[in-house]
Amino acid sequence: MNGLRLTVNGLPVAEHVEPRTSLADLLRENLNLTGTHLGCEQGVCGACTVFVDGVPVRSCISTAVSCSGADVRTIESFDADPLMGELREAFNKHHALQCGFCTPGMLVMARDIVERLGDADEERIRLELAGNLCRCTGYAGIVKAIRSVVLARQAAGTAPSLGAPQGLGPAGSGHGQVTEAKPRQAMTPPIPASSPKSAKLGKLAATAPSVKQSFVIEFPPETVWSRFGDVPAMVPCIPGASLVGRTDDGNFQVSMRVKMGPIGAQFAGTANQQRNDDMLTGVIHGSGRDERSGSLARGELSYALHEMNGGAATRVDLEVTYSLSGALGQFARGGIVTHFIAAITAQFADNLKRSLSPEEAPNATQQPRELRLAGSMATALKSWLGATIRKLFSR
Amino acid sequence: MNERANVGIGARLPRKEDDRLMRGRGLFVGDISMPGLQDVAFLRSPLAHGRIVSVDVPEDCAGRVFTSADMAGVKPIRAVSGLPGFKPSSQPPLATGTVRFAGELVAMCVDENRAQAEDLVSRVNVDIEALPVLADTGTAQAVDAVRVHEDWADNIYLETKIEKGDRAVLDNAAIKVEREIRLSRQCMAPLEGKGTVAWWDSRLDQLVVYTSTQLPHMMRTGLAECLGLEERQIHVVAPDVGGAFGFKCILQPEEVCIAWLAMTRRRPFRWLEDRREHLVAAANTREHHYRITGYADAEGRLLGIEADVAVDVGAYSVWPFSACLESAQIASILPGPYVMPYYACRTVSVATNKPPFTPYRGVARTGVCFAIELIVDAIAREAGREPSQVRLDNLVRPEQMPFTNITGKLFDSGDYPESVRKAVEAIDLPALRARQGSAGDDGRLLGIGFATYCEQAAHGTTVYSGWGIPMVPGFEQATARVTPDGGLELRIGVHSHGQGMETSMAQVANEILGIDPAQINLVHGDTALTPYSTGTWGSRSMVMAGGAVSRACEIIAERAKVIGAHLLQSSPDQVTVSDGKVMAAGGSVTFAEIANAWYKRPETLPADVAPEGLEVTAGYKPKVDSGTFSYATHAAVVAVDPEFGAVDILDYVVVEDGGTLVNPLIVDGQILGGVAQGIGTALYEESPYNADGQPLASTFMDYIIPGPCEVPDIRIVHMETPSPFTAHGVKGIGEGGAIAPPAAIANAINDALRPLGAEVATTPVTPHRLLSAIAEARAKAAGAVAQ
Amino acid sequence: MKPVDFRYSRPGTIPEAIELLNEGAGGAKIMAGGQSLGPMLNLRLAQPEQIVDITAIPALTMVTEERDAVVFGACITHAAFEDGRVPDPANGFLRRVAGGIAYRAVRNRGTIGGSLVHADPAADWITTLTALDAELIVATAQGERRVALEAFMMMAFGVHLDDGEFLAGIRIRKFSPAARFGYYKFCRKRGEFAEAMAAVVIDPALNIYRGVIGATQSRPLVLDDIRDLLRGGGESSAPNGAALARARDRVADLGIDDDPITDAMHGNAFARALEQVIA
Repeated sequence: MNGLRLTVNGLPVAEHVEPRTSLADLLRENLNLTGTHLGCEQGVCGACTVFVDGVPVRSCISTAVSCSGADVRTIESFDADPLMGELREAFNKHHALQCGFCTPGMLVMARDIVERLGDADEERIRLELAGNLCRCTGYAGIVKAIRSVVLARQAAGTAPSLGAPQGLGPAGSGHGQVTEAKPRQAMTPPIPASSPKSAKLGKLAATAPSVKQSFVIEFPPETVWSRFGDVPAMVPCIPGASLVGRTDDGNFQVSMRVKMGPIGAQFAGTANQQRNDDMLTGVIHGSGRDERSGSLARGELSYALHEMNGGAATRVDLEVTYSLSGALGQFARGGIVTHFIAAITAQFADNLKRSLSPEEAPNATQQPRELRLAGSMATALKSWLGATIRKLFSR
Repeated sequence: MNERANVGIGARLPRKEDDRLMRGRGLFVGDISMPGLQDVAFLRSPLAHGRIVSVDVPEDCAGRVFTSADMAGVKPIRAVSGLPGFKPSSQPPLATGTVRFAGELVAMCVDENRAQAEDLVSRVNVDIEALPVLADTGTAQAVDAVRVHEDWADNIYLETKIEKGDRAVLDNAAIKVEREIRLSRQCMAPLEGKGTVAWWDSRLDQLVVYTSTQLPHMMRTGLAECLGLEERQIHVVAPDVGGAFGFKCILQPEEVCIAWLAMTRRRPFRWLEDRREHLVAAANTREHHYRITGYADAEGRLLGIEADVAVDVGAYSVWPFSACLESAQIASILPGPYVMPYYACRTVSVATNKPPFTPYRGVARTGVCFAIELIVDAIAREAGREPSQVRLDNLVRPEQMPFTNITGKLFDSGDYPESVRKAVEAIDLPALRARQGSAGDDGRLLGIGFATYCEQAAHGTTVYSGWGIPMVPGFEQATARVTPDGGLELRIGVHSHGQGMETSMAQVANEILGIDPAQINLVHGDTALTPYSTGTWGSRSMVMAGGAVSRACEIIAERAKVIGAHLLQSSPDQVTVSDGKVMAAGGSVTFAEIANAWYKRPETLPADVAPEGLEVTAGYKPKVDSGTFSYATHAAVVAVDPEFGAVDILDYVVVEDGGTLVNPLIVDGQILGGVAQGIGTALYEESPYNADGQPLASTFMDYIIPGPCEVPDIRIVHMETPSPFTAHGVKGIGEGGAIAPPAAIANAINDALRPLGAEVATTPVTPHRLLSAIAEARAKAAGAVAQ
Repeated sequence: MKPVDFRYSRPGTIPEAIELLNEGAGGAKIMAGGQSLGPMLNLRLAQPEQIVDITAIPALTMVTEERDAVVFGACITHAAFEDGRVPDPANGFLRRVAGGIAYRAVRNRGTIGGSLVHADPAADWITTLTALDAELIVATAQGERRVALEAFMMMAFGVHLDDGEFLAGIRIRKFSPAARFGYYKFCRKRGEFAEAMAAVVIDPALNIYRGVIGATQSRPLVLDDIRDLLRGGGESSAPNGAALARARDRVADLGIDDDPITDAMHGNAFARALEQVIA
């Protein structure tokens, strides 16, 4: 908790909030200014829009501490504002609200449009309002109301009075230096995840996404085959993975850190392997739970080895099939995850090759970390994605 | 006599409720704060189907984390139906043993604020053993499929079959069109999520529940059943509600949980559904799958429809509508506004490992309209005729009204074909057809689509008693009370959450009493203050509560006349009520004077004054309670970009007949808002699930609802045929806008795609679906050429 | 949902920020306007132990004009570009791109640097600044290092930054007055993620003929030299339509997404961007 000072609706405010508290929650929960609404907390719907340093800002995705020192104005402070008065009258006349939940954000945005643009036509108004969702009105009344105020002000010769926003940085941010803000208390760690067993997580759906990769390795099939059979040596080749121990029933306990941009997860789980010595094929089943999000991951890595160059080399065909359940899996842009898994697979292949090479041996015993996008990884990706393009476009 | 502006029925009166909402002074559930209030966050199942092996709660969280074991004695939510063969489900507020959809509640965590409650959630470990997942109706109907409910013989809540007419009429059908038509699963996404704040009022020994609902009285009944309280021990208030659209009709397990906490802990608790919870775990809607065949003669006159419909109603039957209301309606309204000699329909309501299903604005009609209207257009294409002409040939004609259709629905009044003719005229079809042949749309393809529907609304006892669900509406009641200073208080049991009833009910009262709407207050959404009601759903409030307000005010008028006549030294049969006064030949007294006499100067009252005074509770039910039938024709003009699969709506016209309009400004708003939601269904909104039953749209980035740039200017043309059955001739109108857009827009798209031989039949028509349809048609054409 | 708890600090200088990052040892996350990070925090997808807010560092909101380039501080907002409050070395192109990013209320806080480091493949700056061959100035413990944007982003949400580094500035060369810029993006809903996008920059004076295809599942695809695709446009006698069709097919055939329909969209977006420069 830390002290926070800012100006809200013209009055100085000093509050104690956690660093994670959003500006919207500061307004609603601490200051009882409940006219600012939360419709998504994902920065999309616009219901939480307030003025910060004179310009509209999403208060749900702006932390209160980052707005320390800022001047905040909410819908409650516009009772005597002439322009907001005109907008209210026009909204009422054109039936621009029904349930009224989006209305405070709409009015804040409307006021900005009128002030900033002066001569917005209906199309421009729609464009400028695109970040404010209304589920009731179909927007017709809102657009007409704003347009009517624009026209009335033009007729009255009222010029837009709002200067361009001051400064080039994020509105509300950067007002002087802040002393370090600390969390409420040290978080008690979660109780250690009882690793879910693969069997408990069921079979992978036939439609589960998968990634295939093949590579050739300059070792005979027997060497590669024995390496695949050596789980303790294999696991560190998987980016971010490390072997924790063994369960009573012979499964391996594995932990895996994954980081994709700001998204991070640490899966704790188990793995086991089934192999067919005659066919030189095998499947590694793994599953785990991310302690923080409660999400579950299941994966299967199938491999098939093929002799090359009369036994001097081996072609490895890999297929990784996976599924994610819970928060980490509930997104529409699954293709990005598939690419990510492909990148992990590429690096796994790379690490595996190097772990077999005597001169690269230290690499295999290197401390496991989450997938890092550097070095070999970048190279692998670049060659993987870039080859065709250069072929087609180089002159 | 002075000409006064009409502020009664028919006036475009700006709304009374706007002012507080525009100043940030609405009171939504999330705005309530009180000392000691604690927030609740739920631990939800990450898996769509599984057995709970263990829920591990850290020791230091004792008393702040609750599971089903703590809630012993609380009854599951159980929504039955009287329809033969219906299998009810039992939904425990917190899962017991089995989880049946991803997002189902497993535990609840309580702390000072939501963030800390969520911290607790992340410290609880739930171990679940996976069961096979049923993520679609096909998989769920397989003979060897796992059961969503272990004790069921199959995964079907209900199967219905209906056949009307003689199938022999189909034998000579010149045209037969078969289609597979789908509506994707969708969320309702009111901008305010569900929310509940509950506490125990120890003075009244009552559980007080502020909840974001459309049906406060029903919620009291449902909570009483689950918690084992008597209804008198519960007080439910629905304050300002930020949009509902059907979603806020149902009793949610979260509501039961919060109420249970308040009941057992005797302190205030709050749960506010966030957007993610709404998108991944709240009740969904719209998911219909039709296999449908239309038969017609060579001119496109309908001979019959055969349909096999599956509705994916998810894991549990919702209370009070049940898991079968949607399919029961589908079977009875699929013929739409058309005349046909033969009709057969089978429906199945299928249980899957997805969140429950609840009716959304338009209920089954949006899906039904999409199916039948796509078939009508397909028939018109086969017949080589204008789809609007084919509609004219098949619609019920005005001289047939009132008309009983093939499923026994009694259409009350109206001129259905005229709505088509007006729509054709309003969009200028001939000019568009000429433009279609020419270039000049930037390589985009122009298409025109129509959809006509009629909408049963405000249907009552006779209809709902047949379905036997927990809620059968009877009489609707309203209380009217003249205040001592001559103002008027109205109390109704339905709830207004955007419909503007604070204004429109005042207009109805004004129509009878002439009291200025500014002096009329509407009290609603409170079980302690208002008459019992099944609430706001089914486009019923204006008809039913409006009718009751009208009746109550009529009685007030009669009683006021007795007092007024006495004060005027006249007789009741010599006086009239208007303009907020009782008028006699020689003068008038205001309601303020009459109220003053009643409340404060009883010595001045006539001997025969009614002792009930100036407060009345009156009941109302229309003469015929099978419902009003609003109807409309929607016409859409679209430009399809064949490179990106984008659909631009260039023009959109609604020709609508909602009977007598109490407030045309509000009615227009309902239509415009409904159409915007219909555009969402048509082009944008979808909650996809993968084969593991994982929802793939958890944010407003993934789940797209239309914004200002996606909704065009919509033109409305009104027709006004009063219902012969209701007070003032009013018809229900709230849902209509959302019914026809998917059909009109898809028909327009198919009209545009006609030169390519492509057709779409699934909502939403995403760029990917549209481009796939084009690619398929091209592949087919290439195959044909190769042969 | 609400974020996990974290420490927060707002340093006033670049070295202080780097020190905080190093103290955080991988658990620290830089924040500028927070418009991409905010939703991730609220959804608890991002769970940093510490947030280092760099908006109070004056250098990061400064604009420096060099002889042949302009250097923008990483914390300059989209709105500042949109409003023309900063110079535009790309003849108004930056202004045009900025105005189409998300929504005004987001643009008032969202920054150019934050967007680049977030590295969402469907974001506007990633594709357009790759087309402009922007150079990034990364603050490091040793001072700074410079890296081309093309080499900076490696995959979706993955950029080449070490734990103790952050993006401080973006250097964009001054294009000649004759330079032409094409940009096309297709979104299902205005302001939301692009389904397809492409940018084209032609500046004969600087010998630049670049095309970029964005909104892939990973990093943007750079077409270093698209001169062969321009033939038929401009001064040549062949009709533009033919050149565009050729460009469209060439991009669509790259198989960027393993899905013919999406691949066709990439081709179409590229053709539309190209059309703007050869029309």
